[in-house]
Amino acid sequence: MKRTYRQLMRRMLSSAWAVSLVPLWVLGALIYFYFSAAQEEHLRSELKNMAANRVNALGIFLDERTTMLEVLAHSAPLPELTKPGTLESLFRLLNRRQWSFVDLGIIDTDGKHLVYTGAYPLQHQQYQETKWFQQTMLRGAYVSDVFLGFRESPHFVVAVRKGDSPDAWILRATIDSDVFTWLVRTAQLGQRGDAYIVNREGKYQTPPRFGGEILTVSDLDLKKAPREISVVERVADDGRHLLTAFAWLPKRDWILVIDQDPEEALGALRLAQKAELAILILGSILLAVSIFFLVRVVVQRVEAKDKERANLDAQLAHTSRLVSLGRMAAGVAHEINNPVAAISELAGLNEDLMDEDFVKNQPHGKLFKENLSKIQHHVERVHNVTHRMLGFARRMEPRLDMVNVNDVVNEAFFFLEREAGFRRIKITRELEANMPEIKTDQAQLQQVFMNLLSNALDAVGEGGRVGIESREEGDFVLVMIKDNGSGIPAEFQDSIFDPFFTTKAPGKGTGLGLSISHSIMQNLGGALTFESVPGWGANFIVRLPKGPGLREKGDL
Amino acid sequence: MDPIIVLVVDDEEDFLNALVTRLKLRDLKAHGVTTGEEALEFLEQQPVDVVVLDIKLPGMDGLKVLKHIKKKHSRIEVVMLTGHGETESGMEGLSLGAFAYLVKPVKLEELIAHIQEAHKWKIFDRRVPESDSDES
Repeated sequence: MKRTYRQLMRRMLSSAWAVSLVPLWVLGALIYFYFSAAQEEHLRSELKNMAANRVNALGIFLDERTTMLEVLAHSAPLPELTKPGTLESLFRLLNRRQWSFVDLGIIDTDGKHLVYTGAYPLQHQQYQETKWFQQTMLRGAYVSDVFLGFRESPHFVVAVRKGDSPDAWILRATIDSDVFTWLVRTAQLGQRGDAYIVNREGKYQTPPRFGGEILTVSDLDLKKAPREISVVERVADDGRHLLTAFAWLPKRDWILVIDQDPEEALGALRLAQKAELAILILGSILLAVSIFFLVRVVVQRVEAKDKERANLDAQLAHTSRLVSLGRMAAGVAHEINNPVAAISELAGLNEDLMDEDFVKNQPHGKLFKENLSKIQHHVERVHNVTHRMLGFARRMEPRLDMVNVNDVVNEAFFFLEREAGFRRIKITRELEANMPEIKTDQAQLQQVFMNLLSNALDAVGEGGRVGIESREEGDFVLVMIKDNGSGIPAEFQDSIFDPFFTTKAPGKGTGLGLSISHSIMQNLGGALTFESVPGWGANFIVRLPKGPGLREKGDL
Repeated sequence: MDPIIVLVVDDEEDFLNALVTRLKLRDLKAHGVTTGEEALEFLEQQPVDVVVLDIKLPGMDGLKVLKHIKKKHSRIEVVMLTGHGETESGMEGLSLGAFAYLVKPVKLEELIAHIQEAHKWKIFDRRVPESDSDES
């Protein structure tokens, strides 16, 4: 394929690909990102709901316990409650209902246990300096952060104050951290989700599933967590991408944190996206390949058509050139004919005027007579030349005649004989004696022979040999024009009939001769073929049908 | 028999004069003019048996002259001279009523033979009833 056609193909391909693939990919990308965004939005709102739900449950859990203590504190006066056994029985009663209290105690204004029931020996602990004690005294009711305390195990305190200073006392309960942790962990999602509580300083109040012990400080940046429930994307210290919900527990400095691994949650979507991507890629490849083949077919057609048209144009140009050459020849012939006719008549007149007396009595009379007949002879020669020229010109117009191929060969030979002699090329003719006349276009045939002969002359160069042979063969008449030149190299043998194919120096040949000859022979219902052994010359074979073989072409 | 009166029309003067002289030398009463207009004028003034008419003439061309002759002097026979490759014009000339067309260059003997033939035809033509030549 030639460069221009490759360029055309590239241009067609790029636009066809662009037109088909770009919308496909835009659509694909839209679907991809739209679903992704919708799914993520869904995930966020789910997470937010979960956080609200959990935070609500946890709030209720803590409120219930605070309220219970308040109820207890108000159920009896202090002396009743501090009676030995009272608190113990209350404690048992509460835990029968799984209130998850670890112990219960009443503490006076000085921070000393008045009475205590529980598993730990805390009877004589002094609480005056602890934060929960001070806060409870101050606020009346308090839930502490988780701490290890005297018992060295994570727990937190719920305490309520009864009465005012100095008669105030505090009912205090410790809540099992595990129970609370379990409650928080019900918000854990999937295999990689996490849920825990941190306090304002970021200390874990319940142990997270990943990356931290209880009471260690988490990597969360809590300054950014707003009061209302929020969902943010973040990257954990271990590099995991997380979708995290933050929710403040009501009235407390605790934040419920729910982490979710979006990859896990969006697994199904990711699969769908992968499938879409695969379909998109496969579809694109199929589309691109089929477009490629389609475009190639189209470009090849265009190339073939262009070639055909170039051939036709070339033939037309050549024909019109020949026609104008013919007209010029005709004009020249006529211009020559007139004075020659005058010369001929004048010489004839002189001959008429010379009677026997003149020839005999004049000293040069005989010579005069001889010269006049020589003039007539040369006039005859001029007439022969102009005849041929006029014949050539006339036959540029397409027409069918009964033609003896040998005559056409001889005419072509006559035209090139001089040139061949000049270049010391010997042209031999071996023509079939009884050649049948065939109906064909003599001028076009003439043109073919002229082309082939002049090619042969060019091929052999000085001192070469060219042979013309004609014979009958079955239903065909064959004319062969052989030369002993260098032959046609194997690599050119496929293209010598292509228009504009030439091996001659620029300006020496148009590259049209063989192409035109080939199509003329096809038009005449015959064929032009060749055989050539490189280095040994070439043999061009013109084959014409004896019968009507001419393509139907109107009047041609 | 009276000599045949011939009018030769050809624009090539030397050719014309030589031809006319040669025809005269062969006992024909020959005249020569170089244009179609002159030829028609000549025919108005003098009797002519056969016109030898070149097809290529400056001004009024041979075929036109032929038409005029056949219209006005239907009894005058015309021998056309055509160049090589102008057979079409020659054929047209025949269809317009020319007696013959000859392709240049013409051998003098051949021309004279045709002139004589044409003249014979003219005499013969004169003898047949009018109806036959009414077409012209």
